[in-house]
Amino acid sequence: MSIRMVRWGGLLLGLVGTALTVYFHWQVFFFVPTEASMGIVQRIFYIHVPAAWVGFLAFGIVAICSAMYLWLGEEKLDQAAVSAAEGGILFTTIVLLSGPLWAKLAWGTWWTWEPRLTLTLLLWFIYVGYFMVRSSTENPERGKRFAAVVGIVGALNIPLIHMSVLWFRSLHPQPVVARTDGPQLHPDMLTTLLTALVAWLILFFALFLLRYGTARLEAEIERRLRSSHTRDLPGRGTAAEGALTP
Amino acid sequence: MKIFPRRFLFAASLALAVLILSLAPEALEAQAAGPRMRDFWHVFIAYALAWGLLFGWVVAIFRRLGRLTEKLDAG
Repeated sequence: MSIRMVRWGGLLLGLVGTALTVYFHWQVFFFVPTEASMGIVQRIFYIHVPAAWVGFLAFGIVAICSAMYLWLGEEKLDQAAVSAAEGGILFTTIVLLSGPLWAKLAWGTWWTWEPRLTLTLLLWFIYVGYFMVRSSTENPERGKRFAAVVGIVGALNIPLIHMSVLWFRSLHPQPVVARTDGPQLHPDMLTTLLTALVAWLILFFALFLLRYGTARLEAEIERRLRSSHTRDLPGRGTAAEGALTP
Repeated sequence: MKIFPRRFLFAASLALAVLILSLAPEALEAQAAGPRMRDFWHVFIAYALAWGLLFGWVVAIFRRLGRLTEKLDAG
């Protein structure tokens, strides 16, 4: 896939995602019924939960691309992993900021060190570490490989976050959607949640494609600069140029 | 000089007391509506933060893209 195609694909998906987002906001504020016990603040649910799921998906992509990068050594896979990691950090930040705003009114506290919150914060720190590791080595290739390992290890935290409400005593409620016996949610609430999820998934993929296109362009410029630099060096011929070109 | 006769004042006070008492449940509800306004603020801030972050990522990507395009054109 060419860089131009990636960019146009991203823009097209972005438009669809934005349209669907406008629709899901209409649903959140004019269509969905207000939850009986928590009231209006429960509407944070429609950004909090989809953001968490999109974040998990993004980190899943990081882990898969990182594993394949370590195996195949393809630069494109590392670029895809970085792009997904940025999205994952962003959506997890949304979760970590919207959660306390909801918790303050529902639980009476902004933050508590309960398992799901703690593990989600840990996930966020692991992927912040992913970026720090990338830039911490003198040899960029080595940094990419170290980061790939962090990207894989970090994703192991995702099933733990999901299961934490079942395995440990938690303030978070038991799952209401991802259940073996089907979702236990008002049909209108479920529709709104799924619309929000699809809208944010499309927006994530749009921005992921745009970010990936940018990373490809960056690599292309770097490659051109290196090849022109090699050409300018005295006593360097085409063989050296070929060796430097990936 | 008496503008209102005493009977009128008594009736008016009684009517006012009845009105206040009849509005008491609404007044209590209005007091309870205080935190509800706070609920709206929390929802508003949560959505604003989410959109601010998403918009920030879009801006960051396009700024980077613009810088790279400039570099490409210059090179």
